[in-house]
Amino acid sequence: MLVLTRKVGEVIAIGDNIKIKVVDVKGAQVRLGLEAPPDLRIYREEIYVKIQKENMLAAKWDMDDLKKLVNFFDKSDKEPRH
Amino acid sequence: MKVQSSRFGELKIEESKVIEMPDGMVGFEERRFIILSPEDGGNFCWLQSIDNPDLAFVVVEPATFIADYGVKLTREEYDKLQLEKGEEIILLAVTTMAPDPMEISVNLQGPIVINPAKMRGKQIVLEDGKYKTRHPLFQAIREGARQMKDGQIRRKGVAMTKVSAAYHNLGCATPCP
Repeated sequence: MLVLTRKVGEVIAIGDNIKIKVVDVKGAQVRLGLEAPPDLRIYREEIYVKIQKENMLAAKWDMDDLKKLVNFFDKSDKEPRH
Repeated sequence: MKVQSSRFGELKIEESKVIEMPDGMVGFEERRFIILSPEDGGNFCWLQSIDNPDLAFVVVEPATFIADYGVKLTREEYDKLQLEKGEEIILLAVTTMAPDPMEISVNLQGPIVINPAKMRGKQIVLEDGKYKTRHPLFQAIREGARQMKDGQIRRKGVAMTKVSAAYHNLGCATPCP
């Protein structure tokens, strides 16, 4: 892994189109400003991990769960609304 | 072709119904899936791995109950999906079951995008915004029905039926409504 030291206000460029600026440092927290083409998917890694965990959980289901869900969904669909 | 599934037994599937997911589902290695769409499954389908009989996800089209649900795809994602601008896509959300139906949730932050023309799919990771990984399903349906013009949630889309592999029904013990 390439490790670089930066001060507040300094920038790291990745290729021609991506810039990462250190906006602020407060204790153990670093605020980063990202400049990148709007066409790039940017997210914090923990979001990826969160979705991974949710997938793991979602993969554990059985047919009874599904039947219950279908019945429930159908009922709530038919409920009168005011 | 024959597909083994631990929940539904052996399934006979047309090869044209296989969805290639080059990056798989986040956290899983499996790359090839089919969508099974039971007649009595209401709006729910499931995404079954054809390489791992144990792996299946319950999925639902968020668009059936969230009128404005949408995802902006990146160039990279267009390429992965072999999708051209303006082409039709199918958006699916993974459902997380819970013993209490009120606690069943849909993952709106990690939708699955499918290109029905090429039968390619990808799960997308969205940064925190209005969509959460644990959106309560019941609440979503209630709110959704209010937003829809006729106060009715939508049924499965036509595109969805096209990509689905045929599957008889859930075989509910009690007659499904």
